Amino acid sequence: MLAVSFFLMDISSSPAAEKAVEKIAVFPSTAYEAYLIYESLVVFWVFILGLLIIIRMKLREIERIQALGVQEEDPDAPLLK
Amino acid sequence: MKRLIKSKLVPEHRYDLWYYTGGITLFLFVFQFLTGMLMSFYYVPHIDFAHKSIIEIVTKLNMGWFFRSLHHWGAQLAITFLFIHLFGTLLLKSYRKPRELIWVSGFILLGISIFFGLSGYLLLWDERAFAAVRVATGGAGAFPFIGWFIKAFLRGSMDVTGDTLLRFYAFHVAILPILTLCLIGLHVLLVQYHGMSVPLSLERQKQKEAPFFPNVLYKDLSLWLVVLGILVTLAVLLPPEIGVKADPLAPPPENVKPEWYFLFLMQTLKLFPGVILGMNGEMIAILLVSCAILLFFLIPFFDKKSSRGEKSPLFTWIGVIYLLYFLMMTAVGFLS
Repeated sequence: MLAVSFFLMDISSSPAAEKAVEKIAVFPSTAYEAYLIYESLVVFWVFILGLLIIIRMKLREIERIQALGVQEEDPDAPLLK
Repeated sequence: MKRLIKSKLVPEHRYDLWYYTGGITLFLFVFQFLTGMLMSFYYVPHIDFAHKSIIEIVTKLNMGWFFRSLHHWGAQLAITFLFIHLFGTLLLKSYRKPRELIWVSGFILLGISIFFGLSGYLLLWDERAFAAVRVATGGAGAFPFIGWFIKAFLRGSMDVTGDTLLRFYAFHVAILPILTLCLIGLHVLLVQYHGMSVPLSLERQKQKEAPFFPNVLYKDLSLWLVVLGILVTLAVLLPPEIGVKADPLAPPPENVKPEWYFLFLMQTLKLFPGVILGMNGEMIAILLVSCAILLFFLIPFFDKKSSRGEKSPLFTWIGVIYLLYFLMMTAVGFLS
């Protein structure tokens, strides 16, 4: 009788069943792994900012040279033998 | 190619920041290709294994959660920048003659990208994605005369089943990438051929120009680095959830909403009653929305004034109204 009533129970909507549907961890759960990931993110941003600074410096140098006009080829320049 | 790279010049003016939106979108699409290819090594496109394979990618593979998160946020950012690029092109009237074909190829790319998002969304095979695709394909079925064919073609059967999952997988990893590559190739080639468009208000002024290589390329690279930084940050701080596995027999979850780029459509459909003048309200809604999208697509061909180099405030206002409607309905859909 008890077994039949158990089967007849709508267990899918019971609080126990809801707890049984566990939330899937989409981020490493241990504190150490989380710390490593955040630390890597900071290093990554330092790398990005460093690259941005280098590119900016390079661009300023190129624009300075272009403003001087020295990068243009002189078609009448004699060839050295 | 060498001559093009050496001699290509890009106009410099106060609106030239818009020139970079296309490049950022392209960068994000390339990124999606790379992360998608990595995940396709482990994903199984079968209803019994799809959800499980994604759980395994996220929980068992080394950095699997990170690559899935990158792919998720890459898609969000790619479509965001695609819309920014679209509305920037519209409001600056870069579609005007002789660049109509660039607009056409770009518009088709927009449709393909939206379908990329929808097809990729289903691959998770969770209850939210299942419900969203059921509604989206059902909505396509409301189209008069050909709706039944579109619905059957997309679903592969009467309802969203394993056939739909397999079909969407084929679209997502094979058909759409090939189409995207061809269209992006055409789109970029046409941009190189016609050169960068200058806004009408500045067209008659003498333009300052910068060489594409290396000046503009370095600026492009800088922006791509910033976007990459934002993408990685979002991927780390906000990894996407994995919902409950889809059950075709279960009722849809409460308050299910589609992805944000479909919200304006969903809100528009909600405005229409079930029956209008004795006819199916959903069908009329889908027809009207399709007409609005078609009108949007044909703007370059209607806007004769800008083709002649004259100001066309009417089409500027049409563009602004489209943009405001899109933003407002997306916000309403998000908040409701």
